[in-house]
Amino acid sequence: MRTLTQREKRTIRLAGVGIAIYLAAFGGFKVWKFLQKKRVDYQQLVTEAQDLKLEVKRYDDKIAVVKKLMESFHLDPAKLTKATVVAEASAAIQKAATSSGLQLGPVRESPARPSSKELASIQFEATGQVQATMGLLNRLETCGYPLIIDSAQITAEPTRPGQIKLSLTIVILDFDQQKTEGVPHA
Amino acid sequence: MKEIAFMNPSPVYLEFSQASLQALKDNDGLALPLERGANGRLTAGGKEKLISGLQKFLDRKGWQPRARAFCAIGANGVSLRRLTLPASTKEEFQRLLRLQIENEFPLPPDELAWGWHRLGPNGAANKQEVLVAAVRKEVVEEYANVLRACGLTPVFTLAALVRSSLCPQPIDSGAMLDTGDSHAELAMFDNGLPTAVRILSLSAESSVADATVKALGANWSGRHIFLTGANDEIAAQLATRMGIGILCEPLKIESGVGRSAAILGLKKSVEQNGGSPPLVLEVKAKQTGGSFNLSQPHVKKWAVAAAALLCALLVLPFAEALLLKPFLAKKLTRLKAEKGRLATIDRELGFLQSLKQSQPPYLDALYVFAKSAPQGARIEQLTMNRRGEISLRGSMRDATQVTDFRTKLIGSGFLANVAVEEQAPTPDRQKVNVRMSAQWKPVEARAGLAIGPTAEEIEKSKTNKLAQAGGAMLPGGMPPSMMPPIMMPGQMTPPQPARK
Repeated sequence: MRTLTQREKRTIRLAGVGIAIYLAAFGGFKVWKFLQKKRVDYQQLVTEAQDLKLEVKRYDDKIAVVKKLMESFHLDPAKLTKATVVAEASAAIQKAATSSGLQLGPVRESPARPSSKELASIQFEATGQVQATMGLLNRLETCGYPLIIDSAQITAEPTRPGQIKLSLTIVILDFDQQKTEGVPHA
Repeated sequence: MKEIAFMNPSPVYLEFSQASLQALKDNDGLALPLERGANGRLTAGGKEKLISGLQKFLDRKGWQPRARAFCAIGANGVSLRRLTLPASTKEEFQRLLRLQIENEFPLPPDELAWGWHRLGPNGAANKQEVLVAAVRKEVVEEYANVLRACGLTPVFTLAALVRSSLCPQPIDSGAMLDTGDSHAELAMFDNGLPTAVRILSLSAESSVADATVKALGANWSGRHIFLTGANDEIAAQLATRMGIGILCEPLKIESGVGRSAAILGLKKSVEQNGGSPPLVLEVKAKQTGGSFNLSQPHVKKWAVAAAALLCALLVLPFAEALLLKPFLAKKLTRLKAEKGRLATIDRELGFLQSLKQSQPPYLDALYVFAKSAPQGARIEQLTMNRRGEISLRGSMRDATQVTDFRTKLIGSGFLANVAVEEQAPTPDRQKVNVRMSAQWKPVEARAGLAIGPTAEEIEKSKTNKLAQAGGAMLPGGMPPSMMPPIMMPGQMTPPQPARK
């Protein structure tokens, strides 16, 4: 193989340098584009994370209100199950009446209309002192179930002096439907 | 940029001789031995000691700018030439001077540390004469590196030349002899200009006088020899050897550490010459002015640091994206999955608020009725529903009581549409049977009402309770004493309104 002349060597050297510069520029541009894309994606993620953080922060107040309401009603909606809530609520009402000092009369349960956002209604009669009656009315709100007294009738008990008869109609709210309903007028 | 005067450190004057380094800064002096190898260069250990000793002596603060170090080096290895150059421009002069040096000296200018001093025209109008001193570049660079490591900016010159500034008058035609322990340096002057420098080796066989006479030669025409580092005896010996007509004069100089003839001469020369010695030996790095040499360790270090910082500046934003993106994406996915809980919170909040506002105010209504009922009234039946419809059946003493009762109910602000549906006297005309209806106001209208016993009433009821030991207690603490004068069904007492 013949020896390359100085001119040829110089030409080859220059060509090598040119190719190296081209490759470096081309490769560098590709790498830069790749990195830039990664960076843009990352910035987008950061923005998303910041938005989410703000959104979560806005819920702090709501959480506090929910907590306070749950404590005041002694009620956790997440723990209620539709299948057992009527039975449990009925038992809790009767227990509250008995523990208030009332003598229970007839108790009637009837399923509510599905369109009325109620699960069932319970009618019962009880006899007892005025204090016991007031106590029951007060306790029903905090017995741990979504109960609303639909109607109350207080009648004198002529046969038993000092006693009154209380007739209550209580509805058990369908929490699955009620959760998305607006606030009704009471 | 002009540096603030008080920040400028004082210049340092140094003399590098074969065996020692002497330094003078303000009034403080220093003398350090030089450890040289067989090739005459400073040893690595010797350099470290030298740097350490000098740094301690200089006590330079980190914030201070570099001080100038004027260094006088010995004549060992130094060549002195007088060159004649054609008149030229400044740029041309430098090029011509380099060509002349290349021609006159055994080494090319790039391998020399050299300096020049213009001597003036040599008679011809188109010629000029310069004095050039040169020494191997390595010699000066070695010293320069040591001084730079100590935070100094070195300026080199020849010790043999600067000593002459100690002479009381300029040397017209004579010599300057500096004697040391093992050698002496002789600088010869002709017409006030240095012509040659010599190193004289001293030994037991060869005295200073002998060596000087030999070095000057028989044809030397000078008339004055100034001596430094020599005593009167040596001066006398030299005068005797040189013969009549040659004046040998020892110079009296300040004594002390760091106060050699070269240092004191250098200081005087710098002060007289406007802050620079007359002949400065420059290495290539100095010749290029503002540029720097990457091979120098400190320059290299800063260059590497700057490059690393630049790389970090460019790479960090991308590195952050590459490294943290997977973690952030994972976390975000988890948060988005948990975002469903926010909807649950919304639903639960809506439900609980709805439940709270749906609770009918039965106890409040009972309290209002009990509070408004007149003395002797009897309620047979009271019916309420969650829509707020109330109906009442009972009896009262007379029609006036019925009117009062209704007025009080309306005045409570709790009820609207209070109507007496039927009012009829009993057959014995002792009482009036009444049937009334009412409607409680919407929740917004009731919001501002204060329904329920006041604190005073509660306190009073407690007192009464104690007095009537065993008396009935209403639920929620409402005592019987608070019961208005009404006979509710079964002697109903006023209720305690639900208070949330």
